[in-house]
Amino acid sequence: MSFPAALSHPSRRSIIAAGLACAAGAGPARAAERTKIRDLWAAGGSFSAEASRLAGKSIEMRGYMAPPLKPEALFFVLTRIPMAVCPFCDTEAAWPDDLVVVETRRALIPSAFNDLITVTGVLELGAKTDSATGFVSRVRLVDAVFARA
Amino acid sequence: MKVKVLTPPASKRFLLAAAGALAVSSGAFAAEAVLTQANDPYYLSSREQLRKIQALVPNTRRAKNVILFIGDGYGVATMTAARIFRGQQLKGDGPSHKLPHESLPYSALSRTYSHDSLVTDSAPSAVAMTTGVKSNNNMLGLSASAVWRECAASKGKDVTTIGEIAKTLDMSVGAVSTARITDATPAAMFAHAPHRSWESDADLTEEAAKAGCVDIARQLTEFAFGDGLDVMFGGGRMNFLPATMADPEYPDLKGKRKDGRDLTQEWLKRYSNSGAYAWNTETFNKIDPKHARHALALFERADMQYEADRPKDRGGEPSLTEMSVKAIDILARNPKGYVLMIEGGRIDHGSHANNAYRTLTDAVAFEEAITAVLAKVNLKDTLVIVTADHSHTLSISGYPDRDTPILGLVKERGKVALDRDGKPYTIIGYANGPGAKNAAREDIGKADVLDPDYIQQSLVPLTSETHAGEDVAIFAAGPSAHLFQGVVDENYIFFVMDHALRATTRLAAAKPRKPAKVAQVKR
Repeated sequence: MSFPAALSHPSRRSIIAAGLACAAGAGPARAAERTKIRDLWAAGGSFSAEASRLAGKSIEMRGYMAPPLKPEALFFVLTRIPMAVCPFCDTEAAWPDDLVVVETRRALIPSAFNDLITVTGVLELGAKTDSATGFVSRVRLVDAVFARA
Repeated sequence: MKVKVLTPPASKRFLLAAAGALAVSSGAFAAEAVLTQANDPYYLSSREQLRKIQALVPNTRRAKNVILFIGDGYGVATMTAARIFRGQQLKGDGPSHKLPHESLPYSALSRTYSHDSLVTDSAPSAVAMTTGVKSNNNMLGLSASAVWRECAASKGKDVTTIGEIAKTLDMSVGAVSTARITDATPAAMFAHAPHRSWESDADLTEEAAKAGCVDIARQLTEFAFGDGLDVMFGGGRMNFLPATMADPEYPDLKGKRKDGRDLTQEWLKRYSNSGAYAWNTETFNKIDPKHARHALALFERADMQYEADRPKDRGGEPSLTEMSVKAIDILARNPKGYVLMIEGGRIDHGSHANNAYRTLTDAVAFEEAITAVLAKVNLKDTLVIVTADHSHTLSISGYPDRDTPILGLVKERGKVALDRDGKPYTIIGYANGPGAKNAAREDIGKADVLDPDYIQQSLVPLTSETHAGEDVAIFAAGPSAHLFQGVVDENYIFFVMDHALRATTRLAAAKPRKPAKVAQVKR
């Protein structure tokens, strides 16, 4: 699967950067705290202390954009490693259980499945079902913007 | 024996202190010259290995049990990388670290090509080992004359598996895998399907359902040889649960079966008192090997977690070692012996994702299972084989300093080595896969290449890295292990297992009979 690497275009990048600055309110953008997808989880698959501490805050996280479920979607799935669709691995996409759903501020331009991206958004914890697709998530970054890492 | 003096002057290059010993020596063991390198640790360790190999005595007895370890995608390069990784993980030297199967005395190279491809996938590869024939990619338990994805055209093309033979001989049969238990490798013990993906009824094509092909999960629970399969531990729960039933570990997700059947309950019903089923560590720990004879455990909806991610699993999962040990505890209660396949199923998946960290951590888990099993079984009566089903495009390259972390950048004489464009590169790379971009190679000078989620770079951009076609290694110990020598076709492995057990010979001598009704059969 390949998507146009639209995000690598400089003008596109600056638009996203502008959006990011705007999100942080007036004045210079305060650097969002960075965390890792795997650090959101503790042994036994419960949320880590780190996750609880960061809930509700604007944070930055790196990962890969799985191919969007719908082209016009306002959310995508962020995974630790690229969602390579392995012809021999499974008959259906077996989503990792530590995925993060990113709800974007505006219609997104997909990045390539193997481009590392940095997402900034407000961390939301707890199960939620997307009304349009029925997709269930446990962790979300909402009101998010992203750029190639 | 004469000492050949290679380079003059002899007095300086050789210390002929052994000359006296030479004069008094008798028999086959001639004295050797004491060379200037005689105290070199490399010299001593390989000389010790020579002595060990000289002392080997082939075990020609009939084997009671056979254990076949398959590292999925555990090619020689991956094995070497795993050796270095493990040595470094233990804060010791990487390349001279010894893997457990290196102590197995006999080995051979295995040619893994399938009937229709230079590069095999796991299905015909495992089938070659379990049946003695090569067949086509993506097909399970059928001869090469069967037709991929066509049920009617594949009827009557079944080949008999070592699992079916063993059950007919009243032995016990098991498979343990960190992938789905319905995935190609473990399924090669019991299933027949013109498409390896027919894991649940929801995966069958219309033609397949009409022509009467049965999905792999049902073939597992309904296995008709002997009193049915004995131990099946792995992932793949969704293939056993109906699409209407919530998954016990992920209640917001459901099973996959369209026929509404809960095969886990059917398994328990079939085996009544001697049956057991588990889906997480807690229920797994409750399986008592003294009572359970037919144990099914399905620890994930799909594949089990990578070893690196296992501690954070929601429901809790045992390690490959824990599954293997319990499998043997159950199977070994059968006085007629057992055949057990143990698969490190996700070494392969890490490489498909170009994520060398998970490949290597799963390889270490596989090696730990080998250690535990070797400590547990008696090699006088148990043939243990360790091999791979195919290789991957992983390679170890550059001229890195000996202590460079195997997942790191190539460093030569302490300095990061640069390519012609002035960019660094990692020691481990892949020929293809998601690590390639449709652009010039990225400068990874500032990337955290040691991070567990780091994706190694590759050359050809593919969504999933491919298998590779070079030979893989076979290691063996126990009865008939000495029959592994030279370069063999992969399906030869079947013949050694069969000979070790004298299985087909015994089968020919046995009276033909119908598959027994399971619940009534007692060992």
